[in-house]
Amino acid sequence: MTGWDKQSDAPSPADRVLAVPCEGDDLLALFALDTGERLGEVPVGSHPVHATTCRGRTVVATMGDRAVTAVDASGEVTQIETGVLGPSHFAAANGELYVSCSAGDALAVIDSERLTLVDRVAVGAEPHEVAVAPDGDRLYSGSRREGVVDVVDTERHERIGAIDAGPDARVQGVALSPDGDRGYAVDQRGARVVAFETGDNSGSLSVEEPIHAEAAVGADPYDLVATGDRVFVPGRGDGVVHEFDRELDPIAVHDGFSRPVDVLEVADDWWVLDASAPRLRSLDGAVVETSAPGLVATPVSGGRIAISHYDDDRVSLVDVESGTVWTAKSPAYPFGSVVV
Amino acid sequence: MTRETPNADGDAENATRRGLLRAAAGATVAGAASTAGCLSVTTPADVAARNDVSGNVAHFVGPSWLADNREDTVVLDARDPERFREQRIYRARRVPFDAITAREATDDVGEGDVPDTDAIASAFGEIGVTPDDDVLVYGASVGSRVTRVAFALAAVGHEGSIRVLNGGLSAWNGRLGTGSRDRVSPTEYEPDPAASTWVTREWLADRIGTFNGDGPGLVDVRVPEAYLAAAGSDALNADHDRHGHLPGAVDVHWVGNVAGRRMTDPGRLVRLYEVDAELDRSEPVVVYGDDNVDPTSTWLTLKAIGFEDVRLYDGGFGEWANVEGDRGRYPVETATNVVIETEGSVGGDDDGGDFSCTG
Repeated sequence: MTGWDKQSDAPSPADRVLAVPCEGDDLLALFALDTGERLGEVPVGSHPVHATTCRGRTVVATMGDRAVTAVDASGEVTQIETGVLGPSHFAAANGELYVSCSAGDALAVIDSERLTLVDRVAVGAEPHEVAVAPDGDRLYSGSRREGVVDVVDTERHERIGAIDAGPDARVQGVALSPDGDRGYAVDQRGARVVAFETGDNSGSLSVEEPIHAEAAVGADPYDLVATGDRVFVPGRGDGVVHEFDRELDPIAVHDGFSRPVDVLEVADDWWVLDASAPRLRSLDGAVVETSAPGLVATPVSGGRIAISHYDDDRVSLVDVESGTVWTAKSPAYPFGSVVV
Repeated sequence: MTRETPNADGDAENATRRGLLRAAAGATVAGAASTAGCLSVTTPADVAARNDVSGNVAHFVGPSWLADNREDTVVLDARDPERFREQRIYRARRVPFDAITAREATDDVGEGDVPDTDAIASAFGEIGVTPDDDVLVYGASVGSRVTRVAFALAAVGHEGSIRVLNGGLSAWNGRLGTGSRDRVSPTEYEPDPAASTWVTREWLADRIGTFNGDGPGLVDVRVPEAYLAAAGSDALNADHDRHGHLPGAVDVHWVGNVAGRRMTDPGRLVRLYEVDAELDRSEPVVVYGDDNVDPTSTWLTLKAIGFEDVRLYDGGFGEWANVEGDRGRYPVETATNVVIETEGSVGGDDDGGDFSCTG
């Protein structure tokens, strides 16, 4: 591995590394963020999909394993057993790292300092996205199989309730408003988004109507973005992005996309990543051509976005003002990157 | 009533009879020994011969073995009382099936259910079995009712040999009995619990994440639909809080162990478990089923083909899925691609459930 030792306590922008889990080759590929130079790769286990940083380490969720992989500053690679297959999404709370085990019914709680499994928290089957309240005391985990959003007390490592997202719901995306007062979940099967109350009483199974509001969205929704006053939900099947206010009252339906998968705030504008079209398009209509369609994107400072072109085995850095900065070939199926 | 003695000339007589029948049918083709020359005619000797077991296979024996060893073997009938009364191997003793499936909770330490060896031993004692008897178990075939009896004997630390009649009662061409059971003198069967034949829920929980990897093998014997928690499938047990399988378990549906009324060809079984499922015969392997899916067929099959340390999780998926308390310690997986295709066919004709697994 090269390039890893360039890290320092205060790296300059030129020192930053884009670490990209590449699902098809079981590698974490490293690129110089400013130039796209391929710096090397780290074998990290089966089907790496998402990466995060925590306590000076890069941690990779390897969906094909019952473990996550941590790479420390010296380049040492450590696998941390989760015991359950399908580590997928990360969230940090109370100094611990939570990872959803999407092929099971648990969240693994990891001490990212000691690199050990601390606990497993039972949740609804096939947890996917997780979101943490601003104060870190509550974590919300969406269950794809059971159609609920589980509420976890992060102090006690315990599920304290579950918010039923509706009959036959398949919960994919979960997000909280920045103030933490309102939660949202995407029901992929029902093509809807629901809003739920957070706080001490959230998720109580005795609450008759745990859903605060709901709204229809475009077909095959997956992810969502919640801001202080807006909720955006891409509908992959219909090529639309629904925009709501905080109460899920409709504001606009943005159409004309091919397969919108994510909405990112970059340079004071909202940009839509399209998995079937080689471009970024803002909700205001601005367009930036890219080298290929992108499946996952990571905002980078300075009005830039790192894009993983999953189907084309490429990674690129795109400036929303000036276009593509660089494009680099990657190992197979690059996925959710992290800037280190 | 006189006791039947094995007919030492039986095989020769059977061969002579087959020859007559072939000649009458005009059969002249060598190798046509499985029929009497006309379609759908099969002699008892043919059936018996088909169910003989050769090669390095433990526990399973054919009718000829039993004929040769009848005097020295205690024969246990695993079928239900009605079938037993109707017809059985002469002087076979009927196993009180419910009693030998007894489990006891280890609530004091919360480890889950384990075989109740006192109750099981008492049940064997009721039918006059002693710990050093050489025992042969039969049923309508070689399904889980039979293998459950074999496991129960192993669990109480039975010292004598434990064998199963390949092909079941229909393969037997020796003397038959009927009517009420013969009188036998009960014994005091003192169990010597063989805890190495089973594992507990806590034993498994301590090893989560290691199965079929660095740790023991783990085999789920249920249908793939149950293993994968297929939504809407009839295979899902509605009484369970959760569906899926224990993390890391490989699914090999138990029907792959049987071909009609007999055990599957041993060579095919070795391929199934060692090549396809990638189990290591020298390492411990745990098998589990569910409330209505008895894993003992796989337990005995693995032992028969040479696996050295096979253990049963008798609490099964039901106990695991419905455990109270911290379920994070007992996670369930719903997705994997480790499903081994099996080709077994299910034989047996008794509603007592020789292959229904419910007993």
